[in-house]
Amino acid sequence: MDLLAQILINGILLGGLYAIMALGLALVWGVLNIVNLSHGAFIMLGAYLSWYLYTWAGIDPFLGLPITAVLMFCLGYAVQRGLLNFVVRGPMFNTLLITFGLEVVLTYLAQLAFSADFRTINPSYAGNSIPFGPIVIPQARLMAFGIAILLTVAMWIFLLRTRLGRAIRATAQNLVAARLYGVDPRHLYAVTFGIGIGLAGVAGGLYGTVSQINPYIGATLTAKCFAIAIIGGLDSPLGVIVGGIVLGLIESLAILYVGATFGDVASFGVLVLVLILRPSGLLGKTT
Amino acid sequence: MPSKAISFSGLLAGVALALAITPASAKDIVLGASVQLTGSSANTGRYYKDAYEFAVEKINEAGGVKVGGEQMKLALKIYDNQSDVNLSVRQYTQLVSQDKVDFLLGPFASNFALADSAISEKYQIPMIQGGGASDQIFSRNFKYIFGTLAPASNYFGSTVEMLKGLDPAPQSVALLYADDAFDVSVADGTRKLLDDAGLKTVMDEKYSSNASDFNSLLSQIKSNGAEAVLVAGHETEILNFVRQAKSLAVAPKMYSFTVGVPSEDFRKALGADADYAYGMTAWLPSADNKDRWFGDAAQFADAYKKKFGYDPDYHAASGAADVEAFAQAIEDAGGTDPAKVRDAIAKLSFDSLYGKIAFAENGQIDLPQTVIQVQDGKVVDVYGANGVINKPKYPMPAWNAR
Amino acid sequence: MNGMRWILAVIAVAVLACVPWFGSDVVVQFGISTLLLAVLAQGWNIIGGYAGYASFGNSTFFGLGAYGVAIAMVQWNMPFWVGMVFGAVMAVAFAVLLGLPVLRLKGHYFAIATLALAQVVAAIVSNIPLFGENIGLVLPPLNNDAMFYEMALALLVAATLTVWWLTRSRFGFGLIAIRENEEGAAVMGVNTTAYKVLAFALSGLFSALAGGIQAYWITFLDPASAFDISLNVKMIIMTVFGGPGTVLGPIVGAFVLSAISEVLSSEITSVASLFFGVVVVAAVVLMPRGLADVVRRFRKSGWHYFAENIRAHKL
Repeated sequence: MDLLAQILINGILLGGLYAIMALGLALVWGVLNIVNLSHGAFIMLGAYLSWYLYTWAGIDPFLGLPITAVLMFCLGYAVQRGLLNFVVRGPMFNTLLITFGLEVVLTYLAQLAFSADFRTINPSYAGNSIPFGPIVIPQARLMAFGIAILLTVAMWIFLLRTRLGRAIRATAQNLVAARLYGVDPRHLYAVTFGIGIGLAGVAGGLYGTVSQINPYIGATLTAKCFAIAIIGGLDSPLGVIVGGIVLGLIESLAILYVGATFGDVASFGVLVLVLILRPSGLLGKTT
Repeated sequence: MPSKAISFSGLLAGVALALAITPASAKDIVLGASVQLTGSSANTGRYYKDAYEFAVEKINEAGGVKVGGEQMKLALKIYDNQSDVNLSVRQYTQLVSQDKVDFLLGPFASNFALADSAISEKYQIPMIQGGGASDQIFSRNFKYIFGTLAPASNYFGSTVEMLKGLDPAPQSVALLYADDAFDVSVADGTRKLLDDAGLKTVMDEKYSSNASDFNSLLSQIKSNGAEAVLVAGHETEILNFVRQAKSLAVAPKMYSFTVGVPSEDFRKALGADADYAYGMTAWLPSADNKDRWFGDAAQFADAYKKKFGYDPDYHAASGAADVEAFAQAIEDAGGTDPAKVRDAIAKLSFDSLYGKIAFAENGQIDLPQTVIQVQDGKVVDVYGANGVINKPKYPMPAWNAR
Repeated sequence: MNGMRWILAVIAVAVLACVPWFGSDVVVQFGISTLLLAVLAQGWNIIGGYAGYASFGNSTFFGLGAYGVAIAMVQWNMPFWVGMVFGAVMAVAFAVLLGLPVLRLKGHYFAIATLALAQVVAAIVSNIPLFGENIGLVLPPLNNDAMFYEMALALLVAATLTVWWLTRSRFGFGLIAIRENEEGAAVMGVNTTAYKVLAFALSGLFSALAGGIQAYWITFLDPASAFDISLNVKMIIMTVFGGPGTVLGPIVGAFVLSAISEVLSSEITSVASLFFGVVVVAAVVLMPRGLADVVRRFRKSGWHYFAENIRAHKL
């Protein structure tokens, strides 16, 4: 019974980390209809950025998250204006292809710049554990979970309650009308993409404190993020939290009850089922 | 239709280009290899490239290889397989059929060696590899593959021996292993070793290679109270395992890993958390291992560190041994005929910086593993073929009691 | 196609068939690899180019075909052709069974679903002992590149003839109708479900056969290499580069991109992967309608062609 409780907690906390990773992807996909296959590579870059801030400037990875977020935002803005803008109005799978190509290029450049050696972000409290009765809660994961909830709520408020958020959603839904109102869609698209990448950067910084990083983690992370985003539904940031936690629980339970090699079978299997049965996701509105 | 003209001329251009690439003939003996220089295994792959280059350089300095009265130099042709097995197979095919190298050196990792040895067998060119230890590589009755890593099934041999002698002896063992060729081999062998030693196995779990989350498995270890944990996996996984063990406050009496502990990067990445971890190595840079070209293993290690800036471990020593084995075999065979050299390799028996190089009937070397442990940030050998060398720090204290 | 073009085609095939005799080992190997990629591109062309359903899961069929041959030869000691049949049967069965639910999805959901399917199959296969789990299978070595070359060439001819037949058959017109306006096609009496599944199955058949040849030729197979997503992207890029929805486009794309990649990777191996990524990005931005379109329009617009493309698609 204790073991099950511990596994459930593990799954939920893992879900929080997953949610942060997928939040940026879901935002860009749900609002801009851009499917970013290089999202994982940006998480990787965020992780390295965090590592450099910690190792060279001694900035604590959690406190340094805003810096990582802002820098990654600028990168995302540039990528959107300088590259993705060129294919936005083309056929859908052009964005899939171009972001795939981008992933390959980013991974290669990262390996050139950072070498294949793995790194860890190891502040003194990263390994702390908090006992809670018979259960142990890893401190770093709990903090990541808290940040996930915070950011998701912030994103929800931003999109639904602020002027900029509503402008972004309006632009994405109706380009012509937006232009008629004098809005520059390129700028808004770039801002949105930038936010998405900023979130990826934050996810990377957090990921680095609980797992080792190397230039090649991008592809697997992207795949996970897709599963989370779709399972939860792209219509609402809250869906991402649900998707993340559901996936975290499914994986942890599959490993416990079926076998440790069945984690991927479970997560992608659920993804396929969701796509077939309810493509709008658990929290999405069925059209 | 213009596109047809384009396709035709494109094809002709391609054919012409490829035909124009003729390999330059040289009097050197060329050793070819496809190694992981980029990609997820590049971290260990570079040990092999550096070792091959170092060994070739040293042998050439001493005059090269004596073939029928003539001194011939060794040359290397190394491709980067980007940690992609398929690419490495194609590159070995290219080395043999296009570059027409004389002999083949191996890649790192058992799954690569398993696949690439099919090429050496297909073209009947001897390959000596120092990166694959899985028993499967050598159980196919192939004649042209040799390996300088000790059998995977016996990696935990000395460790299990040591466990029996610890006080208080561990009452239960957990065995975790990744699902690739090497680690499955290790697990198969370890199961038998544990059985023979009369130790009780309470957990036997295969996990997906490149897994990053071990929380589930660690929670199970805590729950079933395993006192000794044996993990066969990759450096990145083991790194995650140790860090997550700390964050979940899981501290068995001892844990031992098939990789990681001997390598500097690994210990640096973990910092103080690396303490108490056990590992194994079939090679130590001791002055007892005399070598024809490097003097002895200690001199090899010093010179290697000076040249490349990092300490060599058994991967590097194994790679150097492969080159030396070829040099010796070519001299014994008196020529570069593949079949004759192959037979000469099979009969080899000489001392080197790596230890005694002699291959069993199936092509694999057999060396005992020495158990090592990280104690206060340093690697200490604790248990070898003759029993305890230095006292192991046992049992491991709880994480908050360090 | 008129008589002249048929003669040209036959000559081209005859010349290609003679390559093992006057080409070096390296050319033959390059040939096998390129021919198999062309088959994959041509297979993808059926579901992606003609039917308009961009599948990211054709690598699943490739992998199943490869495993069919590997299992038959290694686990059951059967001859190669039995393995090919087995692999093809697995792939077609998979295409029909999973095509039915998945082909109901549109646009990028379909693409993601096929991507997810590929991952699921890879994950499941790595748990099945018959398939060698995650370690994979090593096939008996056979040193006969000429035979593999001719097999690959024959398969490419078969695939291309099938696509050509498609362009003049009711089935093919039905697929194009589905691509342009699926609802309209259904209203006109086209059985869209049957057509889509059939296209998916045909596409899978060719991918599986290519996979079978590749497995025997490379002599090694594991889940990561069998179900490799970048292989899928390669076949898409080659088809898109050469011209989707045309008979020869995929072949052109495969040959040209392979040739460039081969030259680069034999000189500077690590840059090859960077090159691949850059080409993908450049091709999508500059020539999203393929090389055939470039050739056709370049005469009219000159260098403005590229600028027009960008302007048409950018925000």
